[in-house]
Amino acid sequence: MRPTLVSRTAVIVLAALLAACNSSSSTSSSSSSSGATSGTVKIGVDLPVSGADASIGIPTQNGAVLAVEEANKNGFAGGKFKLEASLLDDAVQGKHDPNAGAQNVKTFIADDAVLAMVGPFNSNVAKAEIPLTNDAGLAQISPSNTNDGLTIGDDAKKLRTAHPDTNAYFRVCTRDQKQGQTLAQVAVQRFSWKKAFIIDDNETYGKGLADVFDAQYRQLGGTVQGHEHITANQVDFKALLTKIKSLNPDVVFFGGNTSTGGGLIRRQMADVGMAKTPYLGGDGISDDEFETQAGTMANGAYMTTAAPDAAKLPTAKTFVDAYKARFKGDVGPYSANAYTAAKIEIAAIEKAITDNGGKMPTRADVLKNIAATANFDSPIGKQGFDANGDTTNGILTLYKVQGGKKVVVDTIVVKI
Amino acid sequence: MDLFLQQLINGLSLGGIYALIALGYTMVYGIIELINFAHGDVYTLGTFFSLAILTLLGVTGIVTGPMLIVVVAVTILGAMLLCGLTGVIVERLAYRRLRNAPKLAPLITAIGMSFILENIMQYWRGPSPVPFPQVIPNPSFALGAISIQTKQIMVILLAVVLMFALQAFVYNTRMGKAMRATAQDKDAAQLMGIDINTTIALTFLIGSALAGAAGFVSGVYYGSTWFFNGFAAGLKAFTAAVLGGIGNLAGAMLGGFLIGLIEALTTQFIGDQWSNVMVFSILVLVLIFRPSGLLGESLPNKV
Repeated sequence: MRPTLVSRTAVIVLAALLAACNSSSSTSSSSSSSGATSGTVKIGVDLPVSGADASIGIPTQNGAVLAVEEANKNGFAGGKFKLEASLLDDAVQGKHDPNAGAQNVKTFIADDAVLAMVGPFNSNVAKAEIPLTNDAGLAQISPSNTNDGLTIGDDAKKLRTAHPDTNAYFRVCTRDQKQGQTLAQVAVQRFSWKKAFIIDDNETYGKGLADVFDAQYRQLGGTVQGHEHITANQVDFKALLTKIKSLNPDVVFFGGNTSTGGGLIRRQMADVGMAKTPYLGGDGISDDEFETQAGTMANGAYMTTAAPDAAKLPTAKTFVDAYKARFKGDVGPYSANAYTAAKIEIAAIEKAITDNGGKMPTRADVLKNIAATANFDSPIGKQGFDANGDTTNGILTLYKVQGGKKVVVDTIVVKI
Repeated sequence: MDLFLQQLINGLSLGGIYALIALGYTMVYGIIELINFAHGDVYTLGTFFSLAILTLLGVTGIVTGPMLIVVVAVTILGAMLLCGLTGVIVERLAYRRLRNAPKLAPLITAIGMSFILENIMQYWRGPSPVPFPQVIPNPSFALGAISIQTKQIMVILLAVVLMFALQAFVYNTRMGKAMRATAQDKDAAQLMGIDINTTIALTFLIGSALAGAAGFVSGVYYGSTWFFNGFAAGLKAFTAAVLGGIGNLAGAMLGGFLIGLIEALTTQFIGDQWSNVMVFSILVLVLIFRPSGLLGESLPNKV
C-alpha cells in the first residue's frame, strides 16, 4: 500500500467523522418583538427524542408539553398571549450529541419569541449549551442534568465566561455529588457490598458520577478494586468483564447511560459467569431501554434517579392522571421534572408580562423571575433555586429491576 | 497465567470476527485497489439479515437437537447470500463506472455508500440496539482453570474454516486464477479472455458473503446489534487488513486475530480505555518497519 494513499485515506476518514458529528436543524421563527401586547410566546424544549435515548427522552418531553398545554387551557397571561413549545431533538445517529444540542440552542436564541428553555437531558450536552444561553441571557432549566461541574466550582465558571456574574442555567434535580454519595451509602450500608469494581463511559456525566461514587465509597470503608473507562461505540466488554470476574467484586458499578454501554455490559456479564453479581448505576440506566438491551440480565440491577417516583408521590397525583389521560402511557422517570421545569418558566413569564404592564417581556425579566423561584409548589415538592442554579429540593429514588421491570426500593431525601 | 489464557480466548473470538470482515477489505483492495468503506456496513447488514431470517423461521431463543444445525445453516447461508448480493449491487451501482476514475473518486463514493447503508438499516430497524436471539446452546467447557464457551469456539472455527476455504478457492480453481490474474494486471487479464467485470463482481460477492457470516456470528456472540456497529468494527477490520498486509488473505486473518488479542490483553494488563490506543500504536510501529504490513509483499504488484 502506498503511503500517499494511506495519508489520503486518513484525511478522508477524519472528514467523514467530522461530517457524522455535525448535523443542523432549522425551524422557521415567527417572532413577537418585545413590547407587543399580544402574540406567541415560546418555550424551547431540547431533549434527545430519537434512538436509544428516546425511551427516556420522549416521556420527558411530554412532561414539558403537558405544562404548556395546561397553561393555554387555563388562559395563559390573561389569554392575550399564546404559549407554544418549540420541540427540538439533540440526538444524532440515535444518541445525544453536544453539537446538535448547541445548534438547537442557537435556533432558540435566534427566535425572539423563545423566552426560556427546558433541557437538555444529558450533562455533556449541557456543557455545550450553557455558554450559549449564558451569553444570550436565555434562561434554561434542565429536568435531569446531574453533573456537578455544570453549577459548581471552576468548571462551572469556565462555562459562564460571557457573563461571569449572571447565571442562566438551573436544574430541578439533585446533582451527582448527592447521587454518588447516596449510591455509595446504598452499596456499603444498605447492601454491605464491600468490594466494588467501577466502570464509566468517559463522558461528562458518567465519569463525573463514577468519580464521586469512587471517592465516597472509599470514605465509607468500601474497597475499590479498579476503575476503568470504556470507549465510544464499544460493543465487546468480555475482556474487561473477564478481568473483573477474576477480582470477584461484590458489585459492579457503572457510571454512564444505557446508550453508552450500560445495557450491553450488564448483558455480557452473563457470558463471563457473573450473572449473580449485582449491578449498580445512576439515573443514566434508569430508562426502559436498559431492560431491552440487558435482556433477562436486567434483573438484579439497581439504579437511582435524581427525581422522586412520581407515580407514588401524593403531590404528583393530579399530574400523573393528567399525563396518562393525555399521552395514554405511564410517566417516565423525568416527566414530572420536565413538567415542573416548564411550570416554573411559565409562571416566570406570566409574572414578567404582568410586571411589564401586559406587554411582551424581555428574556432578562424572565431570567430574573426564574432565579428568584422559591417554595414553588410542584408535583415533585417545593422547588427553589440556590445562587448556583441548583435545586433546593433533594430527592432520589432507588429502583431495582425485578421480573424485567423497575420497582421502587426506597425514596431517599438528601440534605442540600 | 489462567487469566492470560482466558483473555487469549476472548481475544481470539473478537479477532475471529475482525478477521472475517478484514478478508473482504483485503480481497477488494487486492483486485481493484479500492478501500471499500461500505464493507463494515455490509457486515452489520449481515446481522440484520440473520435477524430477519431467524424471525421468518420463528426462532426467538435457543434451539436444540437436529433443528439447530438446520437453523444455523439456513441463517448463515441466507445471510451470506443476501450480503453477497448486496456487495455485488453496491459494486455495480457505485464502483464499476468509476473504475478508471482517479483513485479518490471511488473512495469518496465508498464513504457515501457506507452512509446510505447505515441509513437504510436505521430506517429498517430503528436507531436503537436490537436484541438478537441466542439460538445456540452455550455451555462452557472447562480446560483446566479456563472456560471456553460454545459461542467462542463457533466464532474461531468458522473464521478459520472460511479462511481456508477461500484460500483453496483462490489458488485451486479457474475462477480463483482469474481473480489473481485480474489483480495482477486488469488489461492483460482481459486480453487473455478473462471477463474482468464478472471476476470483480465475484470478488465482491465472496468478500461480502464473508461479512454476512461474520454478521451472523457477531449477532449470536453479543446478543444484540445496531445499525452503527459497522463503523467501529469496519475501522478495526480495515486496520487488521493493513496490519497483515493489505491484499494478502492470510495477512488479513493474522491481522484480525492479532488486533483481537491486542485489545483483550491491553484491557487485562493496562486498561480498557487504552485498547484502541494500543491497536493503532502497534499498527504505526509495524508500518514504520514493514510499510506493506506483516505478510504483505514489497513488490509493486499484489496478489
